[in-house]
Amino acid sequence: MKSSFLILALLLAACTPFKDAYENYIHDTLEQSAKTLDPIHSNDAYSSLPQGQIFEGLLQYAHLERPLKLEPLLAAAMPQISSDKKQYTFKIKQGVYFHDDPCFKATNGKGRELVSEDFIFSWKRLADPKNSSDGFWIFDSKIKGINKWREQATKKGVTDYTLPIEGLKAPDRTTLVITLEKPFPQFLFMLANSHAVAVPSEAVAHYGPEILNHPVGTGPYVLKSWIRGSKIVVTKNPNYRKEFYPSSGETVDQENGLLKDAGASLPLNEGVVFHEATEDKPRYYNFRKGNFDFAKLSKNSIENALDKNGELLPELQKLGIRLSRWSDLDFSYEYFNMKDPLIGSNKYLRQAISLTIDPDDFVAKFFKFRGEVAHGPIPPGVLGYNEKIKNPYNHLDLDRAKALLAKAGYPGGKGLPPITYDINNNANDLLIAQLVQNSVAKIGITMKIVVNSWPEYITKIKSKRVQMFSMAYTADYPDGENFLQLFYGPNETPGPNDSNYNNPTFNRLFEQASGLSDSPARSELFTRMVDLILEDVPLIPHVHRRALILTHAWLHNYKRNKMSHNYPKYLRLDLTEKSKLKKNL
Amino acid sequence: MAGYLLRRSLSVIPIVFGVTIVTFFLFNVLSQDPVIVKMGKYGSQAEMDTLRHEMGLDRPLFQQYLFYLKQCITFDFGRSWTTNQKISQMFLDGIGPSLSLSLPAFSFSILLSLLIAIFLAAYRDRVVDKVVMVTCLAVMSVSVLIYIIFFQYFFAFKLGWFPISGFEMSWLTRWKYIALPAIIWIFTSLGAEILLYRTAIFDEYYSDYVRTARAKGLNEFYILRTHVLKNSLIPIVTVIVSQIPFLYTGSLLLEAFFQIPGLGGMTVQALYNSDFPVIKAMTFWGSLVYIFCNFISDFAYTILDPRIKLQ
Repeated sequence: MKSSFLILALLLAACTPFKDAYENYIHDTLEQSAKTLDPIHSNDAYSSLPQGQIFEGLLQYAHLERPLKLEPLLAAAMPQISSDKKQYTFKIKQGVYFHDDPCFKATNGKGRELVSEDFIFSWKRLADPKNSSDGFWIFDSKIKGINKWREQATKKGVTDYTLPIEGLKAPDRTTLVITLEKPFPQFLFMLANSHAVAVPSEAVAHYGPEILNHPVGTGPYVLKSWIRGSKIVVTKNPNYRKEFYPSSGETVDQENGLLKDAGASLPLNEGVVFHEATEDKPRYYNFRKGNFDFAKLSKNSIENALDKNGELLPELQKLGIRLSRWSDLDFSYEYFNMKDPLIGSNKYLRQAISLTIDPDDFVAKFFKFRGEVAHGPIPPGVLGYNEKIKNPYNHLDLDRAKALLAKAGYPGGKGLPPITYDINNNANDLLIAQLVQNSVAKIGITMKIVVNSWPEYITKIKSKRVQMFSMAYTADYPDGENFLQLFYGPNETPGPNDSNYNNPTFNRLFEQASGLSDSPARSELFTRMVDLILEDVPLIPHVHRRALILTHAWLHNYKRNKMSHNYPKYLRLDLTEKSKLKKNL
Repeated sequence: MAGYLLRRSLSVIPIVFGVTIVTFFLFNVLSQDPVIVKMGKYGSQAEMDTLRHEMGLDRPLFQQYLFYLKQCITFDFGRSWTTNQKISQMFLDGIGPSLSLSLPAFSFSILLSLLIAIFLAAYRDRVVDKVVMVTCLAVMSVSVLIYIIFFQYFFAFKLGWFPISGFEMSWLTRWKYIALPAIIWIFTSLGAEILLYRTAIFDEYYSDYVRTARAKGLNEFYILRTHVLKNSLIPIVTVIVSQIPFLYTGSLLLEAFFQIPGLGGMTVQALYNSDFPVIKAMTFWGSLVYIFCNFISDFAYTILDPRIKLQ
C-alpha cells in the first residue's frame, strides 16, 4: 500500500509545471540519434551536426551567400593555389586555441594554440586503417602519398604517425602545404567536410578510443552533456576567439532581417540542445509548444501545419510561426542494375518503364509540398544545375511506353519475366514500389516487390544482386561532379555507382570535366553527360526534395544550408519575445 | 536443496554454450556482410578488405567463435562497430533508463490488475464483471501505438500535464519524463493481465475447498488471503517471472516516442546497423537473465506450494 502511495505521489510530482533548464539555449532536433562525436567516424548528418559545434576545419560554407560559397574558418585566408592546380598553401589563423581540457597536461589543462601540424595529425588519423574510418574517401587518391602511407600501415599492422605523407607539409607553425595527385577543383569542399577538422594529438593520446565521449576542438561550443539516445547539450566556449556575424549576403537577406546582427561577436547564443527526436509527431508537438525553436515538417505532420495549398495555417501564423522552403540538394530515384542481364542490356525496356510513371502524380502523392519533379541527377542549388534540362522519358506516355516495350522484344509484356524491385523495409518505400508496380502493369509488365531489412538491402545492391531498387542521394559537396560520379564506370559498386552504369563516352566526358573548375565549358560537359544518362536510363529520377522549416518568431538569423554543420553559432533568441509568445502556445 | 542448486547451476553451462553457438551461427555465418553495411557509399574492394581485416572478419570461423566465447566468459564484448562505444558502458547507460520505466510500470500494472481481478472474483457473471471483461477486450484490441499517439497528444500536448518527450539522468527530474510512458505501459498491460489473473483466481475462488471453508464460517478476507490467493499464485507467478527478462530491454515504441535512452532502442539500432558485437552481447545477457528468472520461478513454486519439491 505504501508503495502505491509513493508511486501516486511521484506521478503527481510529475504533473507539476515543466520548466526548461536550457531556456537561453537554441533547441535544435536530430531526426536520428548521433552515433559519435569523433570526427573520423561521424559519417552521418546526425553526428556531424553536434560535432560541428565543437570542431572546426580550415574552411566553412558562408552562412548567407548563395549559391553556396566557401570562406576561411581556421584558415587565415583562402589558399594560394599553384599554377598546375595541384598545390594548396594555407596560412592558419593565429591565436586559435583548443578547448581547455585535462588532456593538455603541459599547460595544466589550458588549451594550447592550434598549429598546422594539427591538421596533418588529424588527417593521418582519418587515413589510419586501424581507425576504420568511413570518412577517408574525402582524401582517398587525392592527397599525394596518402594511400601509400595507409597501405604501409596496413601491411605492417602498426601505424607510424611519424612517417610523413608526401602531399602534406607544415613548413612552419602557421603554414600548411597540401599537394594533390592530380588537379581536383572540388578539393576545397573536402576541407569544409566534417571529417577534415582539427583534433589535438594530446586528446587522442589521453583518451584513446574514449575520445568519442571527450571531444576537444577549437569550436564555439564545448560539450556539456550527452544522454545518448535523448539529447546532446553544448555550451558556449568562454575562450572562443573573435569571430563575427557576416556583413554581406544575398539581396533578400537585408529585407529578411538576416543582416541585423552584422559584425556581432559569435556565437550569438549561450548554447545548443540537440534533441534526438526520432518520431515525427512528438517532434512537431514539441515545436508547437515552443520546446524546439525550429523543426522540419515531415510528411506525417504536414496536415497539422499547412492548408491544402501548402500555405501555413492562419492559426499558426497568428502565433508568430513562420514557414520557409529550402532545396535539400538531393534527388531520389529508381535505379536499374546495369549489370543485370535482362534489364541492364535492354535500353528500350528501361525507357518503357520510365514512361509509365507520372512524375507529377508521384510527387503529389509522396512529396506533396516537399519536393519538385527531378529531370536529372543534379539538384537546384548545386554548381552545374541546368534548369533547361528536360528528361525525355520522365512523363506519362503509355502508347510510347507500349511501343518501346515491343521494340525491346516484349510486345504487351509477352515473354518478359517478372521484374524484381527491391526496397528497404519501410512503409513509404513500399507505397512507392506499389505505385511503380501498378504503373508498369498498365503496359503488361509484372513486377515483384521484395522487402528487405537495411543490411540485406545494402548487401544485395553492393553485390549487384538486384534488378531495380530505390535510393536517395544527398550532396556531400554542392558541385554537380558529386552527383555525376554516381555514373562514372570505374566507380561501380561497391563504389558509389550503384547502378553500375558504364558508358565509355560518359566516362571520357567525366574525366575531361573532372580537372575543370565551374565554368561554361564544364557546364557544357555536364549537360552532355546528363543527356547521356537520360537517354540510357540507368535510373528514373523522381524528385528533388525540399525542406519545409517552421521557425518561431523569437528565433533570428536562420538560413538553411544543408552542407553546413555549424549554423547554430549564428542563431539568436529574442528571450522577451519568447516568453511573450510561449504563453499562447 | 544444495544438490539441486549445483545441478541447476551446471545445467546452465550447456544451455549458455548452445546460445553462443546459435548466436554465432546466426550472425557470423548466415547474416549479411557487416563490412558492406559499415562501408557506406564510397567503398572499394580494397577498402572493404582493409575494414574486414580490422574487424577480424577475415579470420577462420573457428577463431572468430573462440574470440566470441572469450568475450562471453570475460563479459567484455569490446566496442560497438557503429558508435565505437564500449558495449559494457552502452549497457550500463541504457539499463537505468529502461528499468526506470519498465520496473515501476510493470510492478504497478501487476498490483492494479491483481486487485481488480480479486474484486471481480466476488462478482462473477454480474454486470460489473461483464463490463470489465468487455472493456479489457476492447483495450487489448487497439494497437499500443494508437494509445501512445493519443496519450502523448492529449495529456502532454493538449493538456500540458507532462513533458511531451525527453529524459534527464537526475532521479529527481527523471520521473516527470517517465510518468506518462509508465501510465501508457500500465494502461495497455491491464487488459490482458486482468483477464489472466481473473481466470486464475476464479478457478480457486469457486472450487470445492473454498466453498467448504466458507461453510465452516471462515471470514471472506481470510479465505481470500490464505486459500484463494496463495493457490492461484502459481500460474500468476509463472507469467510474471516469464516477463521479467524482457523488462531490461524496456519498450521500443515508448522509448522512441518519449526519447528515453533505453536498451530497446539501442538493440534495434544495432540490428539495423548489423552491429554484431552489440547484438551478440544483448543476446548473451538476455539468455543469462532468462535462465536466472527460470531459477527464481522454480524456487517461488516451492514457497507457494509446499507439495512441490526441488529434485
